[in-house]
Amino acid sequence: MNAPSATVKTVASPARTLLAILRMRTYRRLAASVSLFYLILFMVALQDISLGGTGFQVLTTDWSRAFDRTGTFTFEPIAQLTVPGVTMLLSPINFTIGAILSLLVGLNLMVTYIAFKQPRACGFNRSTGILASLPALLAGSACCAPVIILILGLQLSSLMVAAFQVLIPVSGMLLLLTLSLILKRTNPDLIVGFQETGFFAHFFRQRRVDDSD
Amino acid sequence: MKPTARFTVFFSLIAIAILGVHVMATGPGFSVAAQENKPLPLAKTNYVLGDEIDAYARFIMSGGPPPDGIPSIDKPRFVSAAESRLEAGEPVIGLYHDGEARAYPHRIMVQHEIVNDRIGGLNVAVTYCPLTATAQGFKRGGTTLGVSGQLLNSNLVMFDWSSRSYFSQINATGLTGPDRGRTLDEVRLVWTTWERWRTLHPDTRVLSEHTGYLRNYARDPYGSYNPLRGYYAQDQTIFPLTHESNRYGKKAMVLGARTATRSAFFVMADLAMARVQTTDNFLAVYDSGLDTGYIYVREGNKALPVAQDDGRYEYAGTLHSADALPLTQPVAVEAFHFAWHAFYPQSESP
Repeated sequence: MNAPSATVKTVASPARTLLAILRMRTYRRLAASVSLFYLILFMVALQDISLGGTGFQVLTTDWSRAFDRTGTFTFEPIAQLTVPGVTMLLSPINFTIGAILSLLVGLNLMVTYIAFKQPRACGFNRSTGILASLPALLAGSACCAPVIILILGLQLSSLMVAAFQVLIPVSGMLLLLTLSLILKRTNPDLIVGFQETGFFAHFFRQRRVDDSD
Repeated sequence: MKPTARFTVFFSLIAIAILGVHVMATGPGFSVAAQENKPLPLAKTNYVLGDEIDAYARFIMSGGPPPDGIPSIDKPRFVSAAESRLEAGEPVIGLYHDGEARAYPHRIMVQHEIVNDRIGGLNVAVTYCPLTATAQGFKRGGTTLGVSGQLLNSNLVMFDWSSRSYFSQINATGLTGPDRGRTLDEVRLVWTTWERWRTLHPDTRVLSEHTGYLRNYARDPYGSYNPLRGYYAQDQTIFPLTHESNRYGKKAMVLGARTATRSAFFVMADLAMARVQTTDNFLAVYDSGLDTGYIYVREGNKALPVAQDDGRYEYAGTLHSADALPLTQPVAVEAFHFAWHAFYPQSESP
């Protein structure tokens, strides 16, 4: 018998599965919202977005400074936008790294949500689906950990400082890995539209899998 | 190309891009630090140390940023007191030399830590460490000092661009390189408020926010001094210390000084109340104008200075301002108590 089983590996490639999921507006919006939220969080944690500043001001500096490091994976800004109460520094490389990580976090949480809500489509149980989101949480700490340390006044060891310095690439790689693993085990044909009982159902319209736009 | 292969290639390219950018952007570091060999002025006698240099060198640890990741200001620009937008209670670091006064706002210093300046014909590096609250000036000759990104007892470790030696800020001593064990020639800086500094020096020039770098100078990432909050208010430290003490609050401000053989510290709040305090070998007087103090080496059992109502001190039959008693005056440094104790655990205190 060659009938497809709900719990066997999908035959679809990860890329096709991802594209299939992204065709559903609900999940696309979920990933985009999470990505945008994380990108803002990332920039706040790097102090590229911060409170303070008076008046309206746009400043720029030598663009070649964009490659000067301020940390292991953080770089000098080359433009500054100030509006009353908020200052934004634009470091092209920080922004690019933040955008890539944000995209990966968004996609990870999107597929994790599907794994949690529809374990049948992902070929494993709910707890495994939640475990898959751990790398996304680690990625969150990549930008926030030093700030949290400062706020709480926790004591750092040299090992922890060294670990913080590689958190960004390590979390990026882990996010890629888990995204790839979950997608490989997900059968896009078994993903059904948004569940009415889902947390995000309050925020998004219910749609079915074939309700692409 | 199969979708799986496309997927792998796409994400591999992203990973390679991240790695490539990291490798390309090595920052200025030491590799491009080659400057003319202009010697750094050193003190005639070295300061006493709390520990062996080797022990210090072993205890150095990364604070996170790479060398020059916290960029020093090497082409400082200044504005007049009237042009500056500082608030009255805002902390500033003051330097007065040969008739010229300069104010370095804390809000700028916290982001750059070192200003390589020239005042009254003297090349000086104005340095500040936010984690230990220490503002110290050093003669720099023809070279410039930079922020290494390393810490020793939470304190700034500087590097000399010409000799590539590491220097600890609080004990002003070379930790590595050709100047290892040698003491920098220190210049007194004053940690005070803008209102107090401007009252004493109305013609002061103020470091401009046009530093050549883009930063949000309206925000201190560590907290605030006015009102006191954040890291500055917490009774905790972030990095390991060589020596610890619970005798006073970790962030209690102390005034310390050292000579070739001894060191001493005075708690600023106590000194402000008493106005004159002593240890076995040192005495300190309070300067109510700038809310700071000065430390002198005691001479035998001579009578102590007597505080006058006008803020001056009577000593040996004559009146003197707090900074001008006719005694040997080592350069005094204000610091968080934890930091002073970590470097000078044998310090005398009242």
